[in-house]
Formats: sequence, structure tokens, C-alpha cells
Amino acid sequence: MPDDPNSDFAAAVRRAGVAIPEDRWEVMRDAYESMQALLKILDDPLAYEDEPAALPRYDAGIKR
Amino acid sequence: MSAAPLPTLAEAGRKIASGDLSPVALTEAALTRAATLQPKLDAFIEITADRARAAAQRAEREIAGGRRRGPLHGIPYGLKDIYDAAGLRTTAHSRLLLDNIATTDAETTARLEAAGMILIGKLATHEFATGGPAFDLPFPPARNPWNTAHFTGGSSSGSGAAVAAGIVSLAMGSDTGGSIRLPAAYCGTVGLKPTYGRVSRRGVAPLCYSLDTTGPLTWTVEDTALAMQVLAGHDPLDPGSADVPVPDYRATLRDGVKGLRIGYCSAFNRDGEIGSEQTAALDATAQTLAKLGAEIIEVALPPNAQFQACARAISHSESFAIHAKDLRTHPELYARVTRERLMLGGFLTATQYVQAQRLRRILTRKVDALFETVDVLLTAVIPGPAPVLEETDDGPWRRQQPLASVFNVTGHPAMAQPCGFATGLPLSAQFVGRAFDEATVLRVGHAYEQEAGWIAKRPALAAL
Repeated sequence: MPDDPNSDFAAAVRRAGVAIPEDRWEVMRDAYESMQALLKILDDPLAYEDEPAALPRYDAGIKR
Repeated sequence: MSAAPLPTLAEAGRKIASGDLSPVALTEAALTRAATLQPKLDAFIEITADRARAAAQRAEREIAGGRRRGPLHGIPYGLKDIYDAAGLRTTAHSRLLLDNIATTDAETTARLEAAGMILIGKLATHEFATGGPAFDLPFPPARNPWNTAHFTGGSSSGSGAAVAAGIVSLAMGSDTGGSIRLPAAYCGTVGLKPTYGRVSRRGVAPLCYSLDTTGPLTWTVEDTALAMQVLAGHDPLDPGSADVPVPDYRATLRDGVKGLRIGYCSAFNRDGEIGSEQTAALDATAQTLAKLGAEIIEVALPPNAQFQACARAISHSESFAIHAKDLRTHPELYARVTRERLMLGGFLTATQYVQAQRLRRILTRKVDALFETVDVLLTAVIPGPAPVLEETDDGPWRRQQPLASVFNVTGHPAMAQPCGFATGLPLSAQFVGRAFDEATVLRVGHAYEQEAGWIAKRPALAAL
């Protein structure tokens, strides 16, 4: 593993439980960092009442 | 019948009804064209000739016996190879599913079969409807009929190629982040991503449960309306399916655009870094609609980066959940590009996924609010014409921010259709409607199509 084993990326790879070949490590780390940079937007605070879009609909199976 | 492009669904239906066209002859023409063009286009994973011939003969007998089922009876179609058709393999273009024989039809397949359509084959896709064009899979990637050195777009790559080449007039695609609209755009066809929940996903290999949609690619907008009349409707066995009445899509198709308000998203297009030719084509599209009597209103969508953060966090998370076991135990079975893109989902946190779903609701409300002042939105779907196939981005992180996935995030119906050409390759416009209002999208698209006339131009390959 050509990386600091304590880096965020190395930890993410361990948590995901996947194996990345040595020759693709840098490419994947770069992809990971690009993804995290885009997802910074998700750190912006939201109001308590802003609920997720994908919530269960328990009326979906009710025959009308 | 000559090896000319197949007639549109509407034309074939009229000719079959009048007895001027035989389903057997039409199916033979489609099979001949599929086999002839396969070495050039690689549009198909499998051509199901025997099954198609048997179905065509059955259709011919039924129609001759006065039992015509409807306007699509006896007309060939193709399925992206993530749709189940009983007795046939569903490979998802992957080594992992080479021996996966479907035991039942997908709900959409069943609806098309019940309408009397004739399946002629399973079409190429990007592996599991994600990744990108890959050369390390058991099947090659499809090629663009306008120029076979160029990318078809994806992931419904074979569907775009087969319709553009006139092999079939209807091919089914799926769209999680643009996978119906991107091949439609690059191949110069019509491609409709219906409202989330409008068309069943049951029996179609999933990529991302909360973003996946299924829908048609056709040569004309009228054909999309015909296909939607069969495809749309509630499926109680699909947890994402919506119980919303289905209108008669052809009833308003020819009503024109006079009095309609079209929201032109030019700032959003600039944000998407679209090219000058694409910009000019979209400006001309807006002008054409204005000439036809529509009111063009500049509107502002939220920043594309917000949509992209939502789309990517949600799609990567859900697709990793689906593929985690295989990625951990035999990753070598995936194409390199698929494997790496899917793996990114394993690096996200639960918090990021939930935040993305929360932001998604906010963005959906903002787009819904735009529809209080306009009837349809006009945006770009891609920055420009199809790139060279071998130069397509195959890295784990797509550098280009897609414009199409905006309406996967919000769920609104969105349709790509030709609006010009650059360097001999199609350009495309995207019309977007209110949730479950595909009818108005089709109405605007049809009016534009009839006025602009792009459908008269077909790939030179299709003249074979």
C-alpha cells in the first residue's frame, strides 16, 4: 500500500473492504479526493425540518 | 422489403393496420439490418432471430384474424440487456451474469409483449448501466452510427445505436444519471426519462434504487408517445412506482406551443461549460419555439454543483450497496472502469448519503417552484457532440459534470431530442416538464421536431 496507512483514503479503503492494486492506488486516491471536494457542499447546515427525499411510503401497497 | 431504416412506429402501425405491411416482412427487415450492421456497430449482445420470427408469425395470424391488439402490434423492438425477458439471458453486459437466464419478463417487457411487439434482441449497455465504454468485457462497446469512431453515449449505448441506425424504431433504456438521454443526444434520437415512478423498474437490473428510471428511445417524439401509452402505469410490485393516472399522450401531441411558457436555462447551460455550437443550437431552438408562439422566459436553476453532489453521493452509495459483495470477493470480473467507479461508493459515509437526500428534497422544491411560472424547461443535456470512443473519459472520477442528472435528482420528466449538428454529429436539446406531465414535454418536443425537421436526416450508415 503506497500510502500513509493512517490517511483518510487508506482508512476509507479499509472500511469499504475492497482491494486496490498498487498501480491504481494514486488514481483512486485522486478520484476519492475529487469526490470529497465536490461533496463539501453536503456539509452546509440544513434546517431540522429538511427531511430526506427518499422516505418510505406506507400507502404504496394499499389497494384503493 | 429493402434494407432501408425501419419505418417509425406510427408509420409501421398505420401500414400494418391497412394491410400494406406484414409483421413477418418487417421483422425480417429488422433482423437483416441488425445482422448486417452488427459488425460495424456492435449494438447487440444477442439477436433473438428464432424467437422474433415465431412472434412475427403469431402477430401476423392474429392481425389477419381481426385480433389486432393496438398500434404497436407486429412491430420489432429491442431491450437494453438489463431488462429481463423470460427465457433469455440478462447479462448487463457483464462477465458476472453470463449465465443469468431470466425466468420472467420485466413489467415493461410484459407490457410491450402484451401490445404485440416483437423482441429482436438484447442491446449493449455499459456494464450494469454504469462505468463507461470498456474493451475488457466479453462484449465490445456499441459504436455511433453517425461515425463509428465516436462514442454512442451511455449507458443505453446499444439502444441509441440501434434506433439511430434504423434497426428498430423503439429500444428500451434506463436512466439513473442520463443514461437514456445521453445516448439519445449523441446518436441523434429522441430519449425520454419519464418521471420517477411513472414506468415500472421491476425486472430491470438496478443501479441506484432512488434514481433509476426506465424509458424509451425512438426516432420521433410521436413514437415516444406511442411507447409511453403502453409503458406508463402503476406497478404495485415496484416499490418506487406511482399510482398516478396515465393520460392519452397523443391527445395533446399536436396542440402546438402557442401560449406555452418555456423556461430557458441559459445560465445553467453556461455553468455546464457547453460549447459554442451547442449554445448556438439551443438559442436557435428557443427562437424556433418563440416563432411558433411560445413565450420564452429566462429562468435560473440552482447551481449544478449542488445537483452533482446529490446525484453522485446517492448513486455511488446505492450502487456500492448493490455490488459490494462482488467487488470484495471477485473484483476481477468487472471491467476496470466499472470496478473503479463502483468502488468509490464504498468511500462515502452514511452522513453524506443522508445529507444528499435532504438536499435533494430542497432542490426538487426549487425546481417545482419554477414550474409555477413556466410549463417546460429548455436546457442542454450534453456540452457538445460525441467524443471519439477511445478518448472517452474512463477514469474512476468523471471529470465532466453531467447536465442530465439534475432531473434524476428531482425526478422530473426530461426528454433529449436533436436540435442540430456539429462536425457531422448530432446536438441535442432537453425539454423538462412538471412531475408526471410527460404529455406537455411531448407536445413541445413534437412541435419543435416538426418545425426544425432534423428527423429527415439519418446517418449515412443507415442508408446501407
